Amino acid sequence: MITIPYLTALTTYFSYGLLFAFGQLRDFFRKIFDWWSHNSLEGYAPICLGLEDFYIRRLYLRIQDCFNRPICSSPDAWFDVVERISNDYNKTLKRTTRVDRCLNLGSYNYLGFAAADEYCTPRVIESLKKFSASTCSTRVDGGTTTLHAELEECVANFVGKPAAVVFGMGYATNSAILPVLIGKGGLIISDSLNHNSIVNGARGSGATIRVFQHNTPSHLEKVLREQIAEGQPRTHRPWKKIIVVVEGIYSMEGELCQLPEIVSICKKYRAYIYLDEAHSIGAVGKSGRGVCDLLGVDTADIDIMMGTFTKSFGSCGGYIAGSKELIEYLKHNCPAHLYATSISPPAAQQIMSSIKVILGEDGSSRGAQKLARIRENSNFFRSELQKMGFEVLGDNDSPVMPIMLYNPAKIPAFSRECLKRNVAVVTVAFPATPLLLARARICISAAHTREDLTKALEVISRVGDMVGVKYFPAEPKKQQLEGEGIKMD
Amino acid sequence: MANLYVQATPTTDLNKNTEWFTYPAAWTTYILILFFSWLVVLSVFGCSAGMAWTVVHLSHFVVTYQFFHWKKGTPFSDDQGVYNRLTWWEQIDNGKQLTRNRKFLTVVPVVLYLIASHTTNYQHPMLFFNTIAVFILVVAKFPNMHKVRIFGINADQ
Repeated sequence: MITIPYLTALTTYFSYGLLFAFGQLRDFFRKIFDWWSHNSLEGYAPICLGLEDFYIRRLYLRIQDCFNRPICSSPDAWFDVVERISNDYNKTLKRTTRVDRCLNLGSYNYLGFAAADEYCTPRVIESLKKFSASTCSTRVDGGTTTLHAELEECVANFVGKPAAVVFGMGYATNSAILPVLIGKGGLIISDSLNHNSIVNGARGSGATIRVFQHNTPSHLEKVLREQIAEGQPRTHRPWKKIIVVVEGIYSMEGELCQLPEIVSICKKYRAYIYLDEAHSIGAVGKSGRGVCDLLGVDTADIDIMMGTFTKSFGSCGGYIAGSKELIEYLKHNCPAHLYATSISPPAAQQIMSSIKVILGEDGSSRGAQKLARIRENSNFFRSELQKMGFEVLGDNDSPVMPIMLYNPAKIPAFSRECLKRNVAVVTVAFPATPLLLARARICISAAHTREDLTKALEVISRVGDMVGVKYFPAEPKKQQLEGEGIKMD
Repeated sequence: MANLYVQATPTTDLNKNTEWFTYPAAWTTYILILFFSWLVVLSVFGCSAGMAWTVVHLSHFVVTYQFFHWKKGTPFSDDQGVYNRLTWWEQIDNGKQLTRNRKFLTVVPVVLYLIASHTTNYQHPMLFFNTIAVFILVVAKFPNMHKVRIFGINADQ
């Protein structure tokens, strides 16, 4: 539930209308110019229809300097951002040799493994020397090393399932697995805010797709009942299978999934459940095992658990964990296993070492400290932002916090002003989010210290005042009054 | 007034080209844009109120016909072209007919027509053009005209 001030909604629509009108006007004049100028590709069909990239040409390119910023150090709590300049109003950007040291509030570095770590990095370098940077082969040809076999066992144990299979890329995991699990005649019911990889995988599978309202188990039940009663479209035969796809933490909202209710509904109607824990594995839960750990759901109730290693483990790749039969079937049929190059050996070693640190098997308590620190940091940051009057989404304990901006002009303003003060934030707009609901998404890391967070809060408060994003009234400072009361006694 | 808040629930519409219309304040913005454009026309041309409403009505006809019923597809390529044969009107609400949004969008040109013809006292050249405009717009929005291309106009190759 996002609460928008009515005036802000009106002005946002109006701003987008104005941007759209100007874009159309410029396109109209461009068409006239192009008709005059000579075209060397006579007779060839155009590669893209003029209207398909309208959004990119006329809206995104205007504020291009707020996205795709190159960095030249590892994405730790502080990192180096390369400055870029443009001579033609942001149509093209050129990298300069100047570099700014900025506070990193955008990387998915939840447990701080993105930079050199005292346990992980020596082992990664050793496996780089032993196995080299790439296996240069698919899993079935020559790309399965001992590291891969160990990694799959390690991941299966960590997640709490009998077996797991690991792929080289997280996005490819979702888009290559869904077509293998379900085909024509099946039904996929997915949350309305699911990630693009799930949407693409579902479209590629050929199954019928229905969407239920974000995180609303009652609507899921309604959709399930309706679809089971109607059956397949036109023939009305019963569905071959039904898979419900949800995510652990939604990356644009910071909200946790209402997993216990959804699992009980799926059990009642005998639908399979597919849980995408890209942002929650390693970052939430008492021992870092994800939303099942946090919400107390038995992992045996979830049929297919998927996750990625990019966020909390400081590596790359994705995994699917499930029963032994399921994983055997996937290994024989999934194109990402049969035809794609296997995960790089140093990356695999990084995952195993970071899992050992999280579980405390390296002999120290750094894993538990990291988990406690990210929880503390997230709760502190979120409560401070809310006290200042920002509209922050997401549940407590979630390290992802979007700050709502709404107006399209506030997106580049917020981003550029923060960068001037050496704080790098990621701003997200349409079409990754709904049109009205543009936001700045902050990802808290266990590598952030209290001073880093205080500096970030100061900068964000100052920029928020300048840009005008404090949509809620700020809470008055109660501590000063209490302090004075005690002194007078 | 600045403290009036509305709740925005995320919709189940996956089409990013049309889901923005389901959020609060869309209808109000539409009506306010029409009203302000009437004021702008009055101040720029200095004509009578009726002529200004006629101008607003006819330019509204041209703009909405172009963007709702002529242009097909979506302005971004993320959806892999699944909507490339559908105009915006055919895309909204996932193709479901007679929803609240569609009823509202059908009523607006009719109300504009009534205002324009009333304020010009139903005089001849303006009345003719206004009637043609509203006739075309309302017929284009009928449920029976869903995906119909008359004489192949605007159909794909």
